[in-house]
Amino acid sequence: MDFNDILQVIISPTTAAFAIAAIGLNFHYGLTGLLNMGHAGFMLIGMYGYAISVSHGVPAWLAIIISMLSAVLFALLLGWPTLRLRGDYLAIVTIAAAEIVRIVGRSQWLKEWTGGNTGIRGKDFKAPFEALSPFPDRLIRIGPWQFHGSLSSSWWLVLVGWVLAGLFALLFWRLNKSPWGRVLRGIREDEDAVRSLGKDVYSFKMQALIIGGVIGALGGVVWSHSLAVTPDSMSRTVTFQIWTMLLLGGAATVFGPILGTCLFWALFVFVKQLAPLALPNLEGTQVEPLALAMVGLGLILLIVFRPQGILGNKKELAING
Amino acid sequence: MTRAANGFLTRNPLLWRIVAIATLATALVVVFVRSASAAAAITATEVGTTSPGSGGNAFLQVIVNGIIFGLLLALASVGLSLIYGTTGLSNFAHGEQVTLGAAVAYVSVTQLHAPLWGAIVIAVAAGTASGWLQDVVLWKQLRKRGVPNMQQMIVSIGLALILVNFIQIWIGPDRLRLIQSTTRDHDLGLISVSTPDIVSICICVLALGAVGFFLMRTRLGRATRAVSDNPALASATGISVNRVIRIVWMMAGALAALAGPLLALRYDAFNYQLGADILLLMFAAVTLGGLGHPFGALVGALVIGVIAQLTEAYAPTPDLKYAVVLAILIITLLVRPQGILGRKERVG
Repeated sequence: MDFNDILQVIISPTTAAFAIAAIGLNFHYGLTGLLNMGHAGFMLIGMYGYAISVSHGVPAWLAIIISMLSAVLFALLLGWPTLRLRGDYLAIVTIAAAEIVRIVGRSQWLKEWTGGNTGIRGKDFKAPFEALSPFPDRLIRIGPWQFHGSLSSSWWLVLVGWVLAGLFALLFWRLNKSPWGRVLRGIREDEDAVRSLGKDVYSFKMQALIIGGVIGALGGVVWSHSLAVTPDSMSRTVTFQIWTMLLLGGAATVFGPILGTCLFWALFVFVKQLAPLALPNLEGTQVEPLALAMVGLGLILLIVFRPQGILGNKKELAING
Repeated sequence: MTRAANGFLTRNPLLWRIVAIATLATALVVVFVRSASAAAAITATEVGTTSPGSGGNAFLQVIVNGIIFGLLLALASVGLSLIYGTTGLSNFAHGEQVTLGAAVAYVSVTQLHAPLWGAIVIAVAAGTASGWLQDVVLWKQLRKRGVPNMQQMIVSIGLALILVNFIQIWIGPDRLRLIQSTTRDHDLGLISVSTPDIVSICICVLALGAVGFFLMRTRLGRATRAVSDNPALASATGISVNRVIRIVWMMAGALAALAGPLLALRYDAFNYQLGADILLLMFAAVTLGGLGHPFGALVGALVIGVIAQLTEAYAPTPDLKYAVVLAILIITLLVRPQGILGRKERVG
């Protein structure tokens, strides 16, 4: 058993990326009660938007804007047919749309843009971000943690990722307390009541979908800087994992998504290390599926017995769709 | 605008609606059509027809393949639609019932040395048992606790994750074949079909016919439709809603488990993601046909099956197949959220 791995994963850039994505989902589900089951699609759209722009010579700041705009467009496209319908339609459409992004991304059809199923290699788009790194270009060890200074999964990315996560948590806190946030929470609790007050429910839902989607897309950009743009690593399972993280920490809370994400990955690595010790007959390739099955079990137990997660308030999350 | 379009469609007879949606869908596919010669070349290699076949033959072959796939998809998704109709649950774990069927059949063939038909019977039995078990252990308890449908849907996602991963641990990550021999295609002039395909078509038609007979002609079937319509009212007339739902879960498990080995035969091999891969196609089929409508799944699945095969044959690259089908799902929700056969009040 190696506790360093667990400590390492808690602050790693991919964890930060998932925390950002979970905050985005918190705008959808926690604040507004939208069942977005295609969050991985937002992340993938975001990383494609950034990586394709940069690899075609667009400056990084513009690429970020393009990435965010593509998420806005994606949200508009998703919300338009579904936000007037019952909640589970949004779930089916978002999951379908995320799969469309993945299938089109990995298809040979747009290979010259998206790189087909191999995706876009890191060296094609990471350079502008890594060039900004203030840290030295070597492995740096601080306490139990060891990352490179500026390349791929670097201290630089750890810093930027967690600062972003903190900023978005702050944004959630502010917006949640604002009159705008109160309307969204009202929609979550009773859509018809809010409509009877003269609010345009459709438009408010769309705004929430867009904001959460853009945050998810930025989470995707952070994720891609840690690894690369690979469409198949943004499958449905990733969306379900983000849901588990959000529900674990506590939906509709400020720190829930961050706590949930860190705890989720710590537990995930812990289970993967524990499994071979507890079950000696298990083959190496069976460890990952076992851990993922545990995620499913965790998701069920959470939603049935503790839908408010660790930090949440049970009264606040009596969502009936 | 949407409302006006819906009104226009509802005033017209059923056949016209089906034609309208099918035309719309086909038009979408035609957008992808490349030059006719290239398309014919792709079709010939994809389908692997032995006959030299002109362009017309290839097209007909694609349609036939689409209908076969549509029938299999209908078999898999009827249960999804019935469960939705009676309980209001969008069951994301339904794909795993299909995989379970294929996996049980595979293990029966390889470990128990059962003949193929025996393996399929065992698979169906396992599927029925799994439907029963799920309802007893999980879904009935959730209904009792009054867990809302949205939460139940997330539970089904968790269950899907558990099942798919345990099936992967059980049968491994590789592609597996139910039969080792290669099947020969029968040349029927314009088209050719293999023996497993003919048997599959017969099984599908029989099973779907049996479901139709059950729903329309038997007491229990009528009770099922009554529960779909209005559970509270059905309960008030003395129908045991929980018993009906239990039987629906068992039927859904059985039909999906029957579809599993047939799909595995159709595609020569399968892996642990067989059901997960077609889950969204099943949702597309039942949504297109009308979520919860007893025959919606059949109508929707046939349309989806044909469109999937047409896209595979004529799109710029065949790997866009599922993307086009899912786009149709989204367009359906945009123009006619209740589907081809559904009624308007089910939505919103």
